[in-house]
Amino acid sequence: MRIADKMQLNQTNTNVLKNRTEMYQLQNQAATQKRINKPSDDPLSSARVLAARTEERSSQQFVKNINYAKSFLEFSDQSLSELSEILMRAKELAISSSNDASANEESRRITASEIEQIHSQSIQIGNRKLGERYVFGGYQTQAMPFNSLGEYVGDDGDMRIQMHKDTFVAMNMPGSKVFLGKGIGSDGIIRSGSGNPRNVDELLEFREEDKNRMEQEEEIQNNFIETRGPASIMGKSRKQKDPVSGNVGINVFQTLKGLEIALRTNDKASIQDNLDSLDQAISQVVLARSELGSRVTSINNTMESLQKGIVDNKTMASQLEDVDMFELVSEINKSDAALRATLETSSKLIQPSLLDFLK
Amino acid sequence: MSKLSAIMDIGKRSMANSQTALQTVSHNIANKTTDGYSRQRVELVSNNPITVGHVQLGMGAKAAQVTRINNPWLEKQIQREGMNMGYLDARADSLGRVEQVYNEQLNKGLNQYVNDFFNGFRELSNNPESLASRTIVKESAVAMVNDFKRVVDQLESVQEDINNQIKTTADEVNQLAKEISDLNQRILHVENQGIKANDERDRREVVLKQLAEKIEITYAEGGDGQISVTAGSTAILVSGADAATLKARHTNERNRVEIYYQSGEEKSYVNITNQLKGGRLGGILEVRDQVVEDLLEKIDGLAFNVASEVNKAHIEGFDRNGKQGVLFFDMPMGQKGAASLIGLNKTIFQDVSRIAVGSKPNAPGDNTVANIISALQYKKTMDGGSATFDDYYNTQVGQIGTIAQRAIKSQESQKNVVNQLTNIRESISGVSLDEETTKMLEYQKLYEASARMIRTADEMLETVLNIKR
Repeated sequence: MRIADKMQLNQTNTNVLKNRTEMYQLQNQAATQKRINKPSDDPLSSARVLAARTEERSSQQFVKNINYAKSFLEFSDQSLSELSEILMRAKELAISSSNDASANEESRRITASEIEQIHSQSIQIGNRKLGERYVFGGYQTQAMPFNSLGEYVGDDGDMRIQMHKDTFVAMNMPGSKVFLGKGIGSDGIIRSGSGNPRNVDELLEFREEDKNRMEQEEEIQNNFIETRGPASIMGKSRKQKDPVSGNVGINVFQTLKGLEIALRTNDKASIQDNLDSLDQAISQVVLARSELGSRVTSINNTMESLQKGIVDNKTMASQLEDVDMFELVSEINKSDAALRATLETSSKLIQPSLLDFLK
Repeated sequence: MSKLSAIMDIGKRSMANSQTALQTVSHNIANKTTDGYSRQRVELVSNNPITVGHVQLGMGAKAAQVTRINNPWLEKQIQREGMNMGYLDARADSLGRVEQVYNEQLNKGLNQYVNDFFNGFRELSNNPESLASRTIVKESAVAMVNDFKRVVDQLESVQEDINNQIKTTADEVNQLAKEISDLNQRILHVENQGIKANDERDRREVVLKQLAEKIEITYAEGGDGQISVTAGSTAILVSGADAATLKARHTNERNRVEIYYQSGEEKSYVNITNQLKGGRLGGILEVRDQVVEDLLEKIDGLAFNVASEVNKAHIEGFDRNGKQGVLFFDMPMGQKGAASLIGLNKTIFQDVSRIAVGSKPNAPGDNTVANIISALQYKKTMDGGSATFDDYYNTQVGQIGTIAQRAIKSQESQKNVVNQLTNIRESISGVSLDEETTKMLEYQKLYEASARMIRTADEMLETVLNIKR
């Protein structure tokens, strides 16, 4: 093969350039500690890195959501535990006042004032606030859910918090449920519909159902026939049947008020009657607490899997985009050796010509 | 019977020959580094012999012609591969810039801004009453809208840059075409006298290669040694001594620079943009008109769908004051240009309490609509319900990455091809100092020997002249 001078120069140029480019790229990888510095370095992986990062950031948001929901749930639970304690106290009082052996008219009147105390305490519990929000008001977080008579002005809204891609959890327990016994006993799903709407179509459908439900409820209220005389209060329902679940809910405040009135009027039969209701009220609160508890357990589980997911996604992104230092350093050494060899041989290749040997 | 004067004559001519040859050697050495130079060789042939009696006597040598060592087919191949090289170079360079628009390895990009936007709604859903979380939603929406604009701006600036490149390239093409037509003329001039126009031909090949790198051309050499060059499929750039010009003009219909061909006498312009598939122009045109256009369309589609899905949910909600929600984003009716035209609704921008979070009025804790909006991130709304917003965008990043990667790979392999061909060409036509030095020695010796021959003849003549004394 005929070798022209320009070929040698070209070849030297090409080879040195190739080695230098390689060194440049490896050096860049070492400096950024990343194998992928632009999408074309590894298109498939860089798209996957993006997906992993999105997932990680969303998961972090979910963790934030969960922490928020958890404090809300735990605060509600704490409040309900206080409620169940004072209801137990009311029950004790009612039991001791229910027979003539341990109570008389006088003592019943004294007990009545204690029950009155308990009544207002439980209203206070119903008006608990976490930060700037009333915990038991449903969606009505900015207005006191119960007035001094124990009438509910909140609604039965569930504030749902996204804890995973497709999973939402209600972080509140509306006062209507735990205090008034509306919809208690069902498995945390309060409404007639499928619960929380997930998209616009479901929202519209949900609104329609909500409207029907309200009408139905109103009708039941209107058709309710009072069954007992003087010891009952407010002339309205004491034991309501939930129109859907068929469960009987207890109005805690009415029960307490009824007990108080029964005590004041020295109506033993009514005390006995209210004692039953009180029992049911306690189990209603316990039921609500167990529901809150099961939600906390479920979000704790989700939390664990989220945190594991965050670590997994970080690891995956790192595996995809970060350099393996051992490999990189050995690559750099290899390239360095190649570059040196190229430069050294180039100097030998270019230098001599016949002219150097002619005198 | 030979004559002394003939010996002297042969010697003299031989001296002249070796001078000619040495001059060529010197020409070769001088052009050792000249681009596209083909080494030249003096072809010495023996003179016509004369017959004297029964013998034929040689009459020395003459320089028949100076030829260049060159393989025209190889040159043509190099020119063709050079055209591909230009195409791939331009493509890889421009794609490198396009790719940077989507590069989220080191800085925040659209993927993250969209994610932040939906996370903003998740945060708001935790605490719909709070103005602070409403402000977060507003800020993240503004940031997302701005990043949509950033992507469009950067893509358009790549197109703008390509427009400028087209203008300068068209000027360069015109100059090169002019030079080829000039060289055509000179070659015709020289070769009409039966002499090979070596240097002009070398130069013309170099210029042709440069031209092919820039624009897709085909060329053919006529019988008279002149070449005609056609750009694209119809635009005759050079024909004999005439060169046509290309004009790069901004067209309003498509709002970009296109290339027009102006044929000689008629003052009419023909748009040849679509004919140009090769060379640098072909490469940048493809990036500008196909790759970037496609990306712009996709980003418009993403912006349009995000905005309209959010709007659809938002108007169903109720804001902090119990009023029915307004459109969250201002947006165009159609998809075209959506990414640069969407914006946060002014009402919301000025008053974050107008963000509608609840599904019913006067329920401050109601976060149903915020949940519906944040759930949009995982809803398959793109590509006819087969991809989420994230999938759609990430796929684009993957695609542009793949295109850029392929462009770089083919650029590299094409570089090798061109290198290889150039080496083969140099192996045939390139100057080797060793070789030229040997030739130099050879002709120097020839010169010396020829001089000695003349001296010998002179001495012989002297001898003859001295006979009489």
